[in-house]
Amino acid sequence: MVADDRRRQHGPVRNAGADMIFFAQLRSQLGSWWSALVHRTRVDNDIEAELQFHIDAHTQHLIETGVSPTEAARRARVEFGRVDVQKEKYRSAIGLQPLHEIGGDIRYGLRSLYKKPVVSLVAVFSLALGIGATTAIFSLIYTALLHPFPYSGADRIVNPAVINEEHPEVPTWFALTPPQFESLGKAKSIESIVGFTLVGLTATGEDLVEDVRAAYITSNASGFFGVPVKIGRNIQPFDVAKGMPPSNVVVLDYKYWQRKYDRDPKVLGQSLQLNHENYTVIGVMPQRFAFTQTVGNADVYIPWTPARVSHLFPWIKLKPGVSLATANAELQSFLNQFKRETPKHFPAAFRVSVQPIIEPYVHRTGRTLALLFASVIVLLLIGCANCSILLFASGESRQHELAIRSAIGASRFRIVRQLLIESLAISCAGAAIGVVASFWLAELPLRLMPDAFAQEAAITINLPILAFSVALALFTGLLFGLSPALRLSRPNVSQIIQGTARAAAGTSKRMLNLLIGGQIALTFVLLGLAGAAIAGFMKITSIQPGYDPHNVMAVDIPLKQDTKKNQVERATYIDQLRKRAAAVPGVLSVAVASDASLPSPPFAGMGTQAPFEILGGQSQQDLHAAIYLVGAEYFATLKIPLVKGRIWDQTENRRGDFVAVVNQTLAQRYWPKGDAIGHQIRAASLKDDGTPLSAASPHSGEWRQVVGVVADSRNNGLEQPTAPAIFVPYTTFMWDNTQLLIRTAGSPLASLKTIRTALHSINPEQRTMTEVFELEEGLQRQPIWIQQRLFSILFSFFAFLALALSSVGLASTVAFAVTRRMKELGIRMALGAQRSHVVWIVVRATLGTVACGIAVGLLLNLSLVKVIQHWSPGSVSAPWVFGTMTLLLLVCATIACLLPARQAASLDPMKTLRCD
Amino acid sequence: MGKQVDLLQGTLEILILKAISLGPLHGYGMLLRIQQISGERLEIPQGSFYIALYRIEHKGWIKGEWGESENKRRAKFYRLTPAGARRLKSETEKWSQMTDVVNTVLCATPEQI
Repeated sequence: MVADDRRRQHGPVRNAGADMIFFAQLRSQLGSWWSALVHRTRVDNDIEAELQFHIDAHTQHLIETGVSPTEAARRARVEFGRVDVQKEKYRSAIGLQPLHEIGGDIRYGLRSLYKKPVVSLVAVFSLALGIGATTAIFSLIYTALLHPFPYSGADRIVNPAVINEEHPEVPTWFALTPPQFESLGKAKSIESIVGFTLVGLTATGEDLVEDVRAAYITSNASGFFGVPVKIGRNIQPFDVAKGMPPSNVVVLDYKYWQRKYDRDPKVLGQSLQLNHENYTVIGVMPQRFAFTQTVGNADVYIPWTPARVSHLFPWIKLKPGVSLATANAELQSFLNQFKRETPKHFPAAFRVSVQPIIEPYVHRTGRTLALLFASVIVLLLIGCANCSILLFASGESRQHELAIRSAIGASRFRIVRQLLIESLAISCAGAAIGVVASFWLAELPLRLMPDAFAQEAAITINLPILAFSVALALFTGLLFGLSPALRLSRPNVSQIIQGTARAAAGTSKRMLNLLIGGQIALTFVLLGLAGAAIAGFMKITSIQPGYDPHNVMAVDIPLKQDTKKNQVERATYIDQLRKRAAAVPGVLSVAVASDASLPSPPFAGMGTQAPFEILGGQSQQDLHAAIYLVGAEYFATLKIPLVKGRIWDQTENRRGDFVAVVNQTLAQRYWPKGDAIGHQIRAASLKDDGTPLSAASPHSGEWRQVVGVVADSRNNGLEQPTAPAIFVPYTTFMWDNTQLLIRTAGSPLASLKTIRTALHSINPEQRTMTEVFELEEGLQRQPIWIQQRLFSILFSFFAFLALALSSVGLASTVAFAVTRRMKELGIRMALGAQRSHVVWIVVRATLGTVACGIAVGLLLNLSLVKVIQHWSPGSVSAPWVFGTMTLLLLVCATIACLLPARQAASLDPMKTLRCD
Repeated sequence: MGKQVDLLQGTLEILILKAISLGPLHGYGMLLRIQQISGERLEIPQGSFYIALYRIEHKGWIKGEWGESENKRRAKFYRLTPAGARRLKSETEKWSQMTDVVNTVLCATPEQI
């Protein structure tokens, strides 16, 4: 009890002391671990010396007690035990033994991997490929197609558009005056706002007048977009400081810099003359930045001032967390106010609809991308399966070695640990290479087809998916590296050492066959996908567009705003241009066409349909058609055949009213009895809307008679059915732009210069846009074309990879089977079996599995036809596709099986019988 | 050798500490000294001896230094550290307490219950 009291008295002191003791102990432990690891050799030598001293001292002691020297030495050593073993005991005493053992395992594992280079390399390669491809494609999909813009906060940037209640299908833009712009910037939903106007300028001061598309942009643009300049500096607010004259500075777009200055960095500080004014070049934007793809790219960026252009179009970055509905509601009140101030800038009745800039890209390719991603996952699985097969097969061949280790005393745990480390080495190497490969692979599609992606796209590796693929690969590697260990760690030691064991018990063979069969089936699925994509692409290339685009080019003709105001004057001028161009030698015919059916559509595209009416038709019907403003020569130039009636003549062309031509789809839909000619139609959108840029014929919105029916031509995208179309003379409605379609005898671009000179002879200031495109090329720029081509290439690439991996896996399995059965094969050959028979024996088993795999794959493909059709609308699943793929797969599998088997047949029976 | 007593696990460490506390020693010397103090009643297996020695060196209760033995040979001598002295003291106390208690229980006669 006294002791208890004393203990209680010293309680708190003792606790503090206990802490101190603990830390002192910890410090000492860490110190000795450190010296054991870092100064390993010195420590080893020390221990050896110390233990040796002990033995010597004991020998001496024994000698003193009368034992003979040799006997004393022997007894001392025996009683002590081996010094090596004592060293191990030392390490285990201080707790470092496991580390030492693992170090040894690692060294042994690496050595054994090195001895089997092919297997190790292929396993690593399969994993790396699976990881690399999956991560690359997913990053590609994620960044290039879902988030193509490099702007900071791109998901919050919206295009504020209004929906005209009279033409609700097409959003329109609105212009703001500077005070309106500033007050809009104060809206609560808006984080920042940038204003711009796209204007066509001319690069004067050179021999041939050249068009330059300029974007006047407010000085806060560099902060809004957050994309730093490539060289030089960006436009800053001090360039348009109040009270000072605006500095004439200009920032070049990358493509313009490449085209005109050939990427010369000395362009900084040089002067560029635009519309007879000198501007200094202060910077160049990087390649990724292109403003703005939705309307048309700018070549140069100039700071906006009210003096240069009187109005602005806004782009808005919303505050984080603001929904589109909130933004719409708030902007509506602002715009209603603005409409009262400048009624001409806005339609009569409208509502605000802000459009996130990333939307067009999502709609285009969403579903096929999902399919692409699924196929990449399949590739990853194949890669993992391949690695598993290799590890599994090579694990089988190590039974002998593991049995010996078990016999001389290795615990099950140690064997498992050894195999675990080896498969970890492969998995980690595969993962590391895969990570590096994914960076490289991600850039590949961008470089192969730059047109398929938004110009601003830049690929960044998506980290979650990288982590996922790495984790999956590591897991697979571990699982299949371990499985022989778990099975073999209690082997029938004696049987195996004598080599009489029935190698590969039932379960392992089943597992191997399952893996191989599964791999083949998955490869077949990928091949089916690739075949379908290719077939779809071939179908698209063979689609007849309905007109002859060969050797036809489209030249943009912008018209100056101030002059040519009157409709008649404008019509005459355009006709003049057309006749002059037609007179150029080498030109077969020229036609006028105006691109879109409504003024200034923000998301221009052919096929935006407008409502129209039929005289005498039921008024409840909602009739829509694409309206084209063309010249009379349009059909002849494009070789669109006339089916019924006639095209309007020159007089009617100049007048613009009272005539229209329709295409067959429209005629058949609304006048199925075939009496389209003579009916009257009208379109409200052709009416003069009073905007300053447009000029319409006097009765443009009134009834016009259908005078002819022409054959259908693809106007709604290549793969979609033709939409109903109405053609009216272009003089009906004109604005500040038109196009000339020029058919030449030879390559159109060769005649371009002569044509431009000819046009300049009429009006030296007439700009012809530097970018002219051939219609054939335009076909190839169609989204469906680019997409399908991209998908064909990508799917084929995956299928090829999968095929390669499967073949290698197959070949190595057969090779392992051969090595396992070498003795048996040697005996057979010695007994007189033909070489071909030996080959057949070896191949027989695997071929069975391959056949099963192909059958399963075929079933999968057939059952997935509908699914594929839904997810990849461009692809075509035809029977001949499957037939070809089956054949391809069979051939590859046969070759993969035969190659190692033939090696078996060329064995010398004497050697195989002698070796063990 | 006289009758040998089997050592409880962990007591070897205390014995080594005690042996060293009487003066710095090398390994072999420690072995001899313990055997000598115990009156030759203890025979310590040489294998487990060094394990215990390295363990307490690892924990910092003794510190080793290379020096010269009696026959001018290079040997590692160990001395007690302050932490080791404290440990020895506390373990000795615990040992005597435990033996006290166990003795009391073992010497219980039927009348005391």
